[in-house]
Amino acid sequence: MLEIENLHARAGDTAILKGLNLTVNAGEVHAVMGPNGSGKSTLSKIIAGSEDYIVTDGRIRFEGRDLLTLPPEERAAAGIFLGFQYPVEIPGVSNMVFLRAAVNAQRKHRGEPELEAADFLAWVRHRVKQMKMDPAMLSRGVNEGFSGGEKKRNEILQMLVLEPKLMVLDETDSGLDIDALKIVAEGINALRSPARATLLVTHYQRLLDHVQPDHVHVLSGGRIVKSGGPDLARELEEKGYGWLDAA
Amino acid sequence: MMLDNIVTAIEALPDVSAARRAALDALLRLGLPGPHEEQWKYTDLSVLQTLAAEDIAPNPDTHEFPADYADGLDALNAALAGGQQHRPIDGQVRLDTGRHGRYHLTVDGNAELRLEDAGDTRFATCFITLALAPGARLRLTRVLTASEAAHRITRIAISVAENARVDIVTIDLDARFARHDLAVALDAPGATAHLYGLYAPAGATHLDHHVRVDHRAAHCISRGYFRGLAFDRACAVFNGRIMVHPHAQKTDSELRIANLLLSRKAQINAKPELEIYADDVKCAHGATFGRLDPTALFYLRTRGVPEAAARALLTYSFANEIFQHIHPPELRSEITAKFLTRMDGGAGITELT
Repeated sequence: MLEIENLHARAGDTAILKGLNLTVNAGEVHAVMGPNGSGKSTLSKIIAGSEDYIVTDGRIRFEGRDLLTLPPEERAAAGIFLGFQYPVEIPGVSNMVFLRAAVNAQRKHRGEPELEAADFLAWVRHRVKQMKMDPAMLSRGVNEGFSGGEKKRNEILQMLVLEPKLMVLDETDSGLDIDALKIVAEGINALRSPARATLLVTHYQRLLDHVQPDHVHVLSGGRIVKSGGPDLARELEEKGYGWLDAA
Repeated sequence: MMLDNIVTAIEALPDVSAARRAALDALLRLGLPGPHEEQWKYTDLSVLQTLAAEDIAPNPDTHEFPADYADGLDALNAALAGGQQHRPIDGQVRLDTGRHGRYHLTVDGNAELRLEDAGDTRFATCFITLALAPGARLRLTRVLTASEAAHRITRIAISVAENARVDIVTIDLDARFARHDLAVALDAPGATAHLYGLYAPAGATHLDHHVRVDHRAAHCISRGYFRGLAFDRACAVFNGRIMVHPHAQKTDSELRIANLLLSRKAQINAKPELEIYADDVKCAHGATFGRLDPTALFYLRTRGVPEAAARALLTYSFANEIFQHIHPPELRSEITAKFLTRMDGGAGITELT
């Protein structure tokens, strides 16, 4: 589904990704772990189409299409979702308006008819319930005055409403208490299917206790330096990242 | 400044009263304020010379004229409006500010005054004084959505007596040239004023809004929240001044101005001013300037919203902080729709709101 080959990218004059290779197949859950500053967030933002970085070499293909030439909105319509590490507050635009704008735009782009307002509302309410959120949040501004945990939950809510093919979740577990972590993990697991894939970018093991990955990668110095199964995550939790540099 | 077009237009009236002639003489004697004056630093009234005499359109009706004038503009308005109308208002009242008018209105009870200008007249001046009796309530809404050839000058002065309250919303979207002066005087303890305003010029519009709140007595409250957006080559000027006079102890006042520049060629000059002559007061003020947040734009686009629509949505989000105070809801929807349709990608949002 997602093929990243020899990806090089920089922000300004600073090289961040230096030859990254990663293949994610449909049905798989991959975890990308690594120390701060290793390029984890950069990788997720580049997949989603951020203009903050310049790709200097390599390529990214999504279902066979060249992703790097597409603007973020077309990547979203193609089925890519990025859960932000720091979700943005948009006061004055309600969550409901935001969700409708997003769903309508994606459907329009795919040549599908807009959903009836009543059907859409029922669909959103179902997802709100699933995330154990207060339906009153739908009329509040997007992430306006939300706690860090509520913002992360809202990211997963948006994902459940949009039902993407590839879920890229950037440190979605940070700032969550244990109950919220479970709800977020249940949300992610609810979308797991043979047709979808997940890329979890995380610093810690704890989300992986609830969302079992098939593959774990260590990103360090702008490259994947080690790949393995779920055991690798536990090893990293025990030993930290230092031993990889020594190896 | 040459005022030939004004003189010609007034002389062309079928009947020019002595009082109107006196107002015209006062105008010629006092002249119009010029750019050397602090309050006119960014707005040049010589633009009025570009109007043809037939576009001046003085009001032929004759009412009572004042004995003297505060300045040349005051005399200009009286000469064009044909003097001043006195009227108590109660309940819902509408006035068309797209024509020359001059009013003194009094509020004893509860009134809602809507000043609307969606006209295509080339020139209009509208000067209004409002006096609120003790305990009176006034909701004042002024909306400017005139044609792109419209030149407008308004001056609104409101005096608020003991325990009276005024709630003001001003929305300025379309005109070619507009200058608004809004002055609120809190004259007795317990007087309250809440002001919300949006100025959003587009195209080649020049829009100047001067707001002044005078705290003349103790225990008065004022709140002012203004937002400005400038599109295209437009120019916005905003000056907000809070004056706390001696003896106005326990004054509670806040003035916030936020601005968003939406084009490289657009210009906004905004300034809050605070003058305090009492020592036991609570006053806050500030002004910010910014552009659309690129992170927020990216956020919307990752959800599938195309760039133009994402820009429109964020711009709407900024303006909506003021729109939500517009009353009644039908007027709010109407103005919101008008605002959204001027932006690429805004039309889709209209259906969502």
